[in-house]
Amino acid sequence: MTGEDLRPQILVRDVSKSFSGRVVVDVDELVLGDVPVEGLLGPNGAGKTTLMRLIMHSIPLDGGTVTLSRPGQRDVLLSATRTSQMAGLGVVKSTQVITDFEHLTILDSALLAVTEARYERPFAAAADRTVRKRHEEEIRHWLDYFGFDDPLAVALSGGDKKLLDIVRCLLLEPAVLLLDEPTAGLSEDHTERVKAAVRQLASRGTSVVIVEHDLDVIWDLCDEVIFMAEGKVLLKDKPATIRANPTVVESYLGAGSA
Amino acid sequence: MNLDWLDAFLIFGAFKVVEIMGLGLLVHLQLGLTRVANFGVVGFWGVGLYAFGVAHLKIDWPFGDPYQFLVCAAIATIVAAAAGLVVGWLISDLDDDGTLVGTLGFATIVVILATTQQGLTGGALGLGGLGFPYDFSRVKTHEFTWLLITAAVVALIFAYAWRVHRTPHGRLLIAVGANEALARSLGKSATAARLRMMMVTSGAMGLLGAMHGVMVRSLEINSLDVSVTLAALAALILGGTARVFGAVVGVLLTVALFDIVIQFYLPIPDGWNTQALPVAREAVFGAAIVLMLIFRPQGLLGQMRRPALMRRLHGDW
Repeated sequence: MTGEDLRPQILVRDVSKSFSGRVVVDVDELVLGDVPVEGLLGPNGAGKTTLMRLIMHSIPLDGGTVTLSRPGQRDVLLSATRTSQMAGLGVVKSTQVITDFEHLTILDSALLAVTEARYERPFAAAADRTVRKRHEEEIRHWLDYFGFDDPLAVALSGGDKKLLDIVRCLLLEPAVLLLDEPTAGLSEDHTERVKAAVRQLASRGTSVVIVEHDLDVIWDLCDEVIFMAEGKVLLKDKPATIRANPTVVESYLGAGSA
Repeated sequence: MNLDWLDAFLIFGAFKVVEIMGLGLLVHLQLGLTRVANFGVVGFWGVGLYAFGVAHLKIDWPFGDPYQFLVCAAIATIVAAAAGLVVGWLISDLDDDGTLVGTLGFATIVVILATTQQGLTGGALGLGGLGFPYDFSRVKTHEFTWLLITAAVVALIFAYAWRVHRTPHGRLLIAVGANEALARSLGKSATAARLRMMMVTSGAMGLLGAMHGVMVRSLEINSLDVSVTLAALAALILGGTARVFGAVVGVLLTVALFDIVIQFYLPIPDGWNTQALPVAREAVFGAAIVLMLIFRPQGLLGQMRRPALMRRLHGDW
């Protein structure tokens, strides 16, 4: 690694995945984390979300390897790592579908994300307030930032659940953050806040990869864009170049979009 | 202590109420919080009962009671906890249906082993010779004292379940039960959380089994009956699986109603206590489960009130 790209990277090599005989991901070689923020672009069924899920090992790979490379640390084979160990390694992903923990309040969710395993054992002596005291500052910061007025309530709307998902990811202080349609269904104000939070995170050394159908988010936020179609990576370049590429225009953006 | 006013059968009725309340509280942690549908409660309880009985009767201990009881009860707890660990691991990747069948299968294995390993357990004939770990008065006084000791153990189980709701451990169990994939994405090992919970709750079920052995002073294969599981589940479902008090309210409305109020205070015909009433009890418990699941699946006490609890714990946020 050269001095400029001293940030966490994910190396995807010969990764393939099929469902019912149909190849949905077939990537020879892809490096994520070359630049602070990368966008994954492509039509529906291109394999973007599946690729993210393969990186997180939440579904098994048919073949190939996914490796996490962090400056000054030993490489980790993510494709041989359990999903529940990913967050501990700094690899975190938001969910595409709006989801939450039934019954748990917003503060519960935030506390859950930051609580270390030793406090979660059956007879751990530390009270809940001990955990809160250790992490109150960052939790308060992100909940206030996204405008959660009553953290002691349960998140009810789809927008609140989406934002809460992002808050949980941010509280994990990721080295690599995979965001799957993070602004879908959010208001303009919240979309801007998510974008600002991503920029802030990336400026501190986190490698961010975004799948997003709101192209303005991609063009505004990303330093580089990867274009996928039919499971393959076809292009990887600056947003302006991708935007003007005839293949992208023809198969995804449509004439007149540039 | 003059206990002439107290009917010996009433002590046994109250003991059953306390015992099922303890089991219901433990099932609350399994089903209400972590959504592990354990239909083999009697298996873990029975493992404790038989481990205690066999350890007590078959090993020549160099010391007597109460140390012998304490050591044998500890063995029963550890063996039941180990069973919880193994069963929990075996069912860790199963869905709700698989978990139900798997735990029921475990309970069946326990019954078969208890029946066939005659050298150890006495088989269908059972084993006598268990007793109270003290001897200071008449049998009725001993039984009443044992009822109070068991009630104290169940009070501790209640305190533990109550506290779990207020700790990061409880939050993790709720999260794992509600959305395992999301919990995993936050770095939580759902399997480890479930296994720990199963170990603790199964161990406590085993301890209650050991305490039952002391009260009845024998190992009887008939005690390993599905009615133990049915009573705990019916009570919890009636009271509310997600609330700590669900098991308490449910047991009072089911086991206490049948085994104390109806048996002792209603003018029922002679003979019903031993024949018709136990059958009616099982039928009513089964019907209560079905009706509650159809008309009020959240139970009488309703859903978990997490926001209210969080306001009490973190009201200054």
